[in-house]
Order: sequence, then C-alpha cells, then structure tokens
Amino acid sequence: MKLILNQAARLLVALVALYGAALAISLVLVPRSDTGPRLDTARAASSLFLTEPKYVFMSRARLNTSADKVLLVGASNTMAGFKQRQVQALLPDLEVHNLAVGGSNITQVSQVVDLVREVQTPEARRHNIYVVGLWYGLFAADKARWYTADRHAGDTDIDIERYRYGFYRRSDAGAVPVLPPKYLDAGVLLIHPYLVLDRTARDLTLSLREFIGTKKRPITDAQRDAVVLNDADKRKYLAFWREYTGLAEMLGNAPFQALQHMVDGIVAEGGRVVLVDLPIPQWHAEGSALSADYRRRLDAMLPRLKQQPGVSVVTMDDAGASDDFSDEVHPKPRVTPRWAQRLADELAITARAAKDARSSPQLARTPS
Amino acid sequence: MAFTSLTFIAFIGAVVLLTSMLPSPGGRSAVLFGANLVFIGSYVDSVTQVAPLAAFLLMCYLIIEGVRRSRSSAALVAGLAVVIVTFIVLKKFSFLGESLVLPFPYLIAGLSYVLFRVVHLLVDAKQGELTQPIAPLHFFNYTCNFLSFTAGPIQRFQDYAANKDQRLSLDEEKVFRAFARVIMGFVKVAVVSAIFNYLFDSVSVRVLDTAATLAWPMLLGLYTTAAVCYTVYLYANFSGYMDIVIGVGALIGQELPENFNQPFRARSFLEFWQRWHMTLSEWFKTYVFNPLLKLLATHVTAPAAGPYLGVIAFFVTFLIMGVWHGTTSVFVVYGLLMGAGASINKLWQVMITKRLGKKRYKVLAEKSVVIYLARGLTLAYFALALTCLWVDMPQLLRLTRQLGIGGVAASYLGLAVAGAIAYFVWDTLASLPVRWLAGSTGGVIGRNLGLAFQILLIVTVSSFFHKAPEFVYRAF
Repeated sequence: MKLILNQAARLLVALVALYGAALAISLVLVPRSDTGPRLDTARAASSLFLTEPKYVFMSRARLNTSADKVLLVGASNTMAGFKQRQVQALLPDLEVHNLAVGGSNITQVSQVVDLVREVQTPEARRHNIYVVGLWYGLFAADKARWYTADRHAGDTDIDIERYRYGFYRRSDAGAVPVLPPKYLDAGVLLIHPYLVLDRTARDLTLSLREFIGTKKRPITDAQRDAVVLNDADKRKYLAFWREYTGLAEMLGNAPFQALQHMVDGIVAEGGRVVLVDLPIPQWHAEGSALSADYRRRLDAMLPRLKQQPGVSVVTMDDAGASDDFSDEVHPKPRVTPRWAQRLADELAITARAAKDARSSPQLARTPS
Repeated sequence: MAFTSLTFIAFIGAVVLLTSMLPSPGGRSAVLFGANLVFIGSYVDSVTQVAPLAAFLLMCYLIIEGVRRSRSSAALVAGLAVVIVTFIVLKKFSFLGESLVLPFPYLIAGLSYVLFRVVHLLVDAKQGELTQPIAPLHFFNYTCNFLSFTAGPIQRFQDYAANKDQRLSLDEEKVFRAFARVIMGFVKVAVVSAIFNYLFDSVSVRVLDTAATLAWPMLLGLYTTAAVCYTVYLYANFSGYMDIVIGVGALIGQELPENFNQPFRARSFLEFWQRWHMTLSEWFKTYVFNPLLKLLATHVTAPAAGPYLGVIAFFVTFLIMGVWHGTTSVFVVYGLLMGAGASINKLWQVMITKRLGKKRYKVLAEKSVVIYLARGLTLAYFALALTCLWVDMPQLLRLTRQLGIGGVAASYLGLAVAGAIAYFVWDTLASLPVRWLAGSTGGVIGRNLGLAFQILLIVTVSSFFHKAPEFVYRAF
C-alpha cells in the first residue's frame, strides 16, 4: 500500500505544481474577465465566458449589492427585445442587468433566479425587480427541452455550467453546491486557465464548427432589419417549434405552476416581478396550436397575478406586426427602442413602489 | 457505474487499496468477490434485475461441472445448446419476437462475455483440462470479474487460476507503469474518443437527417468523415477502456491479456483482427474457426480444395462474430461485411501466391507504397463496414441509395488513399521524440509531471464536453 500511496502523493504534488504554473501564466497572459458594471448576457460571446449560461453562472456574484436592480430574465427574445443599454439609458437611477439566456424554458429561468438568490444577502434580494419575458416557448415541457442525446437527461444549460468545473455535484435531488456560493469568485479565479483555454479552443475551431454546422454564423443588426420572410421560411420555423416543443398540441400545467412558484418566491423575499407578455409575429401566433393554448392559459392566469402584491404585468399584444420581426420570434433591432420605452415606463412605476414599500412596510402589501 | 465517472475512479481506488491491504491469495479473492458484487450491483436497482444473470451463472456452473465429470461429447453438445439458447433468450434477439422475452427489466450488460468464458470452460472441461472442480467463488470471480465484465479482455481460466494463487507483489516501477497505463486509458477515452465522438455526432446528424437535401459530393464527404470519426472514436474508447482495466489489474495482481496491438498498422483485414479485440478474435479462432476448418477438412478431402476451405471458414467465423455485435437485422449486414472482408482477403492471398509465387509476393508486400496502400485499404474497409454500428436498417438502405455504388466506391478508395497518406505522415511524426508525454522517460519528477499533464488534459477536455462519452462496447 505504501508504494501506491507514495505514487499517488507524487502525482498529486506534480499536479498542483503544474496547475499552479498554468494558473499564473494564464493570469499574466489573459487578465480576468471584466464584465463591466452591469451584466449583459448579450455580451457573453465576447467575454471570457463565451456562452450566456456560463456568463450568468460565473459573473453573478456582483449582484450582491443593495442598489435597486432590474434583472431581465427569459429566453433570447427577452435579450433581443430589451437591449440592456437601451433600457439602462431610460432608467439611470436603477442598475439594469440582462440575465436572459437563449433557449430557456421556465425551469431554466427559475434556475437563473435561484442562482442570483444564492449569492445575495436577504437585504440585496429586496432590491431586485425581475422582468420575466413570457411567450409560449418559455412553457415548453422539460421532457421536450432538456432530454436530448448531448446531455445528461434533464440537465438544463445552467445545470451543465453548474457541473462543468465541479462547482456543483449531481445528486438524486438535483444539483448540490460543492463550492459554497460565497466563494464563487475565488472558484472562478481558480479555473481561469480553463476559461482561457476554452475561449482559445473555441476561437481556433470557430471556422470548423461553422462548417460542420454546430455554430451558426452571426448576423448584423442591419441584416436583421432587412429580413423579409417567405412562406417556406415561415413553414420551417413553425416546424422547428413543433419539434422543439415535443410535437405537443397543448402546454402542460407544470410550467405555469413553476412560474407561479418562482413569482411567489421572489415576492416573499421582498423583490418585485414585472411579467412581460412578449409578442410573436402574427403568422407565428396563428400557425401554432401551442400559442393559442398559451394565450388561453395566460389570459386566465394574468388577472390573478396582477392582483398579487409586488407583481405587475406589461402586455405587448399590439406589437406583433410580422414586419417587426427578423424571424419567428425575435424583434428587429429598429423596434427595440420602442420596446425598451414600454418596459421602462412600467419599471419606473414599479421601482418607485418598491422604494415606497421599503420605507413604509405597510405599503408592501398593496398591489402595484 | 459509468467508467468515466468519479464514482468509478473512487471505486477502483478503494479496490486497489483494499487489495494491497489484503495481499494474500485469499484476501485478494475476497476483495475481488466484493468488488464484483458492487460493480454488478451498480447496474441494477433491485435483486430481480440481477436474478436472470445469477440463474444463468448457476445453470452454466452445473453444466460445466456435469461435462467435466462425464467428459462426454453428447453432454458438451447438449450443454452448449442449452447455454447458447438461454443466452439468445436473455439477450432478447429481435428475431425471437416478444413471446420469449422475460416480462421485467433485467441486466443484459456483460452476458456476452460471460458466455465466451463459459463456452471456453465447457470445451476445456470436455477436453480434460479442468482436472478439479472449480470452486463457486472462483467461477464467479472468473466469469464476472469487474475489470472485464462488460467488454473483456477474455482471459483464459488457466491464466486466471495461475494468477489468483499468487500473493500480490508490487514494486515502484510496476506501480508507476500501472498508473501511467490507467491515465493513458483515460486520455484515450476522455480526450481522443470525446473529441471524435463530438465530431461524429455533429457530422452524422447531417448525414442521417431525412429532411436535409445535401448535394452528392457534400454527402459523400460528410459520410466518409463520419465513418472515420466513428472508427477513431470506437478505437480510442475501447482501447482506452482496456488500458484502464489492464492498469488497474496490474495494481491488484491480475495480469489481464492485451486486447489491442496497434490495429491500424495492419496491412490486411485478417491481420487487423489479429490486432483488434485480440482476445475475442483468439476466442473465435479457437472455438469457431478451428473446429469448422477441421470439420470441412474431414468432408472435403481433395487437396486442390484445401486453401479454399479457409476462405469458407473465415467467412462463417467473421459472419458469426459480426452478428454477435447486435440483435437487429443491421448486424447481419455487418456480419456479412466482416465475413466478406475476411474471405476476400484470404482468397486474395491464395490467388496472388499462386500467381506470383511466395517469394515474389513477399517482395511485393514489403514495398513501402504497397504497405501504406494496404493499410489504407484495410482502414477504409473497416471504417465503412462499421457504419452498421451507427445506423439502423432503414438508415443504411437510405444512405446506400443516396450514395449509390459509385459513392460507396469513391468513399472507399478516397479513404484508402487518404489513409495511406495519413499513415505515412503519422509514421514520420511518430519518429519524433515526444516520449515524455507518456511519462515513460525522465526521473521521478519528469515522469510524474508527464502524468500530471495528461490528467490536466483529461480535465480540460472533459470541461469542454459536458457529457463524457459512454463506453461504446458495453452495447455489444
């Protein structure tokens, strides 16, 4: 046994020495990622974190402040529709952070909220205003969304980031933190060589990945504004979403219950929620059975949510003109200033109400 | 227990330490017994799921003991029939339909390799090579050894028996080499096979997409790329697993047989199978090819037919070996391709030797161009035949229709030439001094830094891919 333990110890020492050198060199060559004063997942691709889930997971520690914060959560249409800098420009007294992650369903959005909660003190949580971008795709069943061959069954993109560097471990009850969330920044520092390597490897293989089709070529805002969809494109998009949502004809109850649960959790901790009923192009809404089901369910749910203290609703059903969208779901860049203004108007009211409620606690129970 | 999981690494760590604490033959057997139980238990959720395997083992044990005592041919034939039929039923071969399938989920992994060992014991029992009854503990440890349970290597019982009676004896060099072997195995699996699995997944999804309308040259290029990626993935995955189990075996005093010997250096299909999954090839040679050839030789006595009997025996042997890989119809195609490859190879050898004579054939075969081209042709044939392992029958038919005979031929020849060039480049690069990476040279510090580098490489690539590749041969 002594021989085996000796060899294991030598290997461990070599490992620590080598990794220490790699860490030092990587820090000298590539400084730590500076995400700026506001988080914006739209900038993930140009950061050391590369992807939106990793960006949210790794950089969230800076949200632990008592400043009033707007936290945009949802899928890619939330990110594309409410550009962080546009909303921020309209709300200079608030910190606007974009934590939307492309491809999210409500399970993943709830996980983002949980990730923020993990790193915040109870006081910081009272200063959160979550903006949740809703649409039918957000209510896709987990079975359809997260049970694919390329991942462990049921792992969301956020789960993948939780496990990737061992910050969490898998258990029957779900993800369990290995690294206490208060040491998140130290953990990110320790994995710096991997972040640098990941970034470098992906940059070097970008052309190859674009060629084999695992990475789509980005398009510019001008190209998005100029898009005109033909019938074949529309059919392709409708087919994609049918497939993406597991060929379901109806949405399940569970995702709507998850939304309610998430809202209740935020409000219970003193935070606020603004639910935005995001538009999709008219042709998409008319061509999707799930969209109709979503509309029925949400119309029944929203009046109840509106009555809930700390919750407000923004409906944008007048913004579904097909020409305002660059594809089946994302608004063209030219319309996003309008979207930002709509949201900012509601956020200004919500922020004032939150401030008043904090200064006179009895007001906290009044519907906004 | 996925062998790329931390659980598996912790498990083998515990087994190694326990074995070194109990180095006597009895202690080692006891640890191995416990480890086998834990390993098999990790695949099931209830006793019911392991009951068919337990019953199969018990039945096999009794039959082997019966054959050993009687040494009768009839008992051997009957025993083989019962064992093989039971195996086919338990394996749920698709041609059986639903009627014979046990109506509950149960463990199938490992059954094939248990069968190989049992057939070997049955034949040896008949031939009188088992002079003593096998103790149930050793029968279980031999047939269900956790290191070789899912995919071999197939150890001979005599080698296992000689090994089990020895006290664990290690020295510093042995321990280092075992560590290096295990780590190299993980590099192959978690780095090489993961990268090629990723490439294969990305490319094959486009090749098999029924909605896609790829231009023919693009389809040809993507298909050939997918075939190559799958072949490298399979090799790295399987041979990496072998490195891990052989390395762990060395630490617990088991000398498991080698299963790979640089298969892509093979200059012919028949040589390839002497280098790839060697213990399986050896098993088929001993228990299928040799008896079959003997049988044919007794019925066909004309001297001129002699060389051609080998062609037939190779075809049948490789057909069976191919079909063994799976339970659906596409594996019959795989078997036919394997059989065709082996028999055409044998036929070529017979014909070319006849035409040129042994001497001139030997001279020709030693020319560099011929060597590299032969290696390229061998790789191309194997890679394209392996398509049957990553498609189902409708996909195979559709792909063949889309490519056409011209496409398949172009893919084969293109890959053969590209392979020949790649081998030449590889051989040139391999002659460069990069041995420190394998941790085989240098002092204590240098060697361990080499291993540490490989571990960091494993962790790095694993962090790129959020799902470690499955052990692919577990499915066969």
